[in-house]
Amino acid sequence: MTSEWLQDSALAVLRAVMPIATLHLPQPIRRRHAIAPRDYGRRDRAIELYESGRFTDAVCEAFAYLLPGVEIPDLKDAPFVFVQGSARVRAHIEGTEMVLRSVLAALGPDSQATAALRFFLTRLSSTGQMFQPRLRGDEIALEFRDQLALLHPGKLIEVLQRMPMEADSNDTWMVGQFGVETPDREPIAPLDADELARALEIWNAHWSAVDELMTESRRRRSVRFLDAVGSFAAYHMRYTLPLFGAVRARLNEGADDFTDRDENPNKRDVALAKTLKDMRRFTSDELQQCLGHASYAINPLQEGTPSLLTSTLGSGNRMQTTGELRATGRSMEAALELISDYLDLLAHYTWGADVETALRAGLTLVSGRPWREAADVLWNHANATARVFGSHGEHDRDDEVGEDDDGASRYDA
Amino acid sequence: MTPDQENLSHSETLDDDIERLGIYQVYTGSGTGSGFLIDATHLVTNHHVVQPYRQVAIEMRDKTRILGTVRRLDPHRDLAVVELARAVDGAVLELSEVEQMRPKQAVHILGFPVGLPLSLTEGVISHPRQLLDEQYFLQTDAAINPGNSGGPMLDDHRRIIAVTTCKLNAADAVGFGIPVADVRRFIEAFRAQDAAFGVQCPACQVLISEPKRYCPSCGLDLESQHDFGEFFEIPDPHPLVGFVEKSLAGAGIDPVLARHGNHNWSFHIGSAPIKVWCCCSDHLNFSSPMAQTGTKGLNELFKFLLSEEHAPFAFDLNGTTVRLNLVVHISDVFASAEHAELGARVAQFIAKADATDNLLIHKYGCVPAPETQRDFLKGAEHHGLV
Repeated sequence: MTSEWLQDSALAVLRAVMPIATLHLPQPIRRRHAIAPRDYGRRDRAIELYESGRFTDAVCEAFAYLLPGVEIPDLKDAPFVFVQGSARVRAHIEGTEMVLRSVLAALGPDSQATAALRFFLTRLSSTGQMFQPRLRGDEIALEFRDQLALLHPGKLIEVLQRMPMEADSNDTWMVGQFGVETPDREPIAPLDADELARALEIWNAHWSAVDELMTESRRRRSVRFLDAVGSFAAYHMRYTLPLFGAVRARLNEGADDFTDRDENPNKRDVALAKTLKDMRRFTSDELQQCLGHASYAINPLQEGTPSLLTSTLGSGNRMQTTGELRATGRSMEAALELISDYLDLLAHYTWGADVETALRAGLTLVSGRPWREAADVLWNHANATARVFGSHGEHDRDDEVGEDDDGASRYDA
Repeated sequence: MTPDQENLSHSETLDDDIERLGIYQVYTGSGTGSGFLIDATHLVTNHHVVQPYRQVAIEMRDKTRILGTVRRLDPHRDLAVVELARAVDGAVLELSEVEQMRPKQAVHILGFPVGLPLSLTEGVISHPRQLLDEQYFLQTDAAINPGNSGGPMLDDHRRIIAVTTCKLNAADAVGFGIPVADVRRFIEAFRAQDAAFGVQCPACQVLISEPKRYCPSCGLDLESQHDFGEFFEIPDPHPLVGFVEKSLAGAGIDPVLARHGNHNWSFHIGSAPIKVWCCCSDHLNFSSPMAQTGTKGLNELFKFLLSEEHAPFAFDLNGTTVRLNLVVHISDVFASAEHAELGARVAQFIAKADATDNLLIHKYGCVPAPETQRDFLKGAEHHGLV
């Protein structure tokens, strides 16, 4: 008993002085969005059609631009329905008006109607957006309606990109929150048993790592370290796990605060600690209810560009500072920043298969490695990735790259 | 009473009754500034406050605005005279006869910093005759912020000793005023002239009252100075500004009186406040923060606010404030063929805002918002509710 106590005590002391030694960065369970690249010529064509007064044709062309490879039916005949995560969006031309609608919820007898309605008015209705929540009977939907003659393709494209995503992000979590019903939502395909087991393992390991990183952040009292920990906490989950529902809503709500670099660091620290507690409070069953593969008709992510790769991973102020951290022995900070940058690029942007593979390879290279090694390896990998795939990179210079060249062979790491 | 006690007494008096002083906020499409009466119908402010407009809005204490017409400009000394559309009754402050100020002498600055209501800040003269950019200024450590420009700097006897003009951004507590002697000369010259509009030559101070390439007196190339050409030919407005102001005029709102800085407008229609602004490169927002939620009947209120009947307008809640909104996409602003349709939509929005705040208060238990003009609220009988 005494010896066990001593052992526990010794471990506790070791934990207090020994920070987390490495990070594990497993392959994602979230599936890559297989979405055809956009043809910007179609967007320009839509604008030409609109400007020549062919409003209906312009609408169809704008849809074709955003949903490449999808046959767009005559929107005057019947609503065209497409799926964006859990949201079903119905697009229809009614007379001279274009109508887009996505049902969010229905108020039932057991709903907390006042709280739900206040939420819609406070959080979903807003200036600065063309769509608004509208109540018909007991059904609340996000809706956009405008005359075809006033429907510049730029406006339609903006609404098509934003409204379905807003509808998707206000999904089943509202059922638990307000007791509303969700009569017209797209079901999310559940994970299979293997995926689920792996997801739970990733989930638990991730929040344990964040817990230890938070302790380290508080010990160092460094805002820059807090930046990196916050980014890692949110981006790793977004990249790795296909979350939706209450878990995604709570994580995103917390991340809005703890990744906000304009906010007071103490408030961000508190927000991260609270999010950590909330995440650990979810039971396995609750987590399972919020994991699944959704499909998206419109690319829900931003398109990654060579210049973004260059500005994030290439030579610039940010990488220079990361390099200085590495050079002055602050390997943990350097590695964590680099890992967070890679996760940001993978979680929030779509890339061609070659870039995505390269970015993933960087994470695989450093997964489980000690901080110093991880910092060195990922630093070299980042520079090489920017050199190969960034703006004016080797990847663009076809004359210098032979057909048999393997992009990976150019990596120093 | 010791001199210090006497000074304190003056200062307290100033603080107590600043509301009746003839110091008003000046609104243009570039920003806001301050100005002070030199008689019942004329106001002095900075040239940079009114540039490049020939008409500006002057806001009274009760928040009503009156039209001001720019009559004189001195771009070199940064002074302007604005003639008001009607006489106002604010107290006219006296210009100090004392031309030699001394360091550490108290300074009281009145104006509308960062758009706030009339405010008083205090400090001392740091240098009575500081040379900066080849001109002399009164330098003070009193707090000066954007919006103070054109307001008066007073001594302990409530006499104008300078006109606030600028501060050094790179330093703390280094502000500047145009010395009273220069202000007096400018006002006296204005009173001695009869041209409806004129600009003083930056080199010789001769009045130029029509567009000229060279000063008839000193031969200065005027077009090389302070955008001189713009004083006589106002540049075309940005298409967005053109659209908004044409729409407001169509709805019976004087756009000059509605201007509230760059790409911002604000006005009241009846009791309802209306604000117009661009939040980003894509949207032009019209919003009326018209009422605040009460404590009862919220379910019915919220259902009414979310009802589809309000399209293309929509309500939202900003805290407890109910706002009626109209969002116009910038692409529509540049599709000039559709301006009539959109202009009609703006007019509908303004009319709806005017009617709806009364409805929310009388039928749904809301209370007036802080910016509601309560004197203009219609009674419940207006809605057939009693």
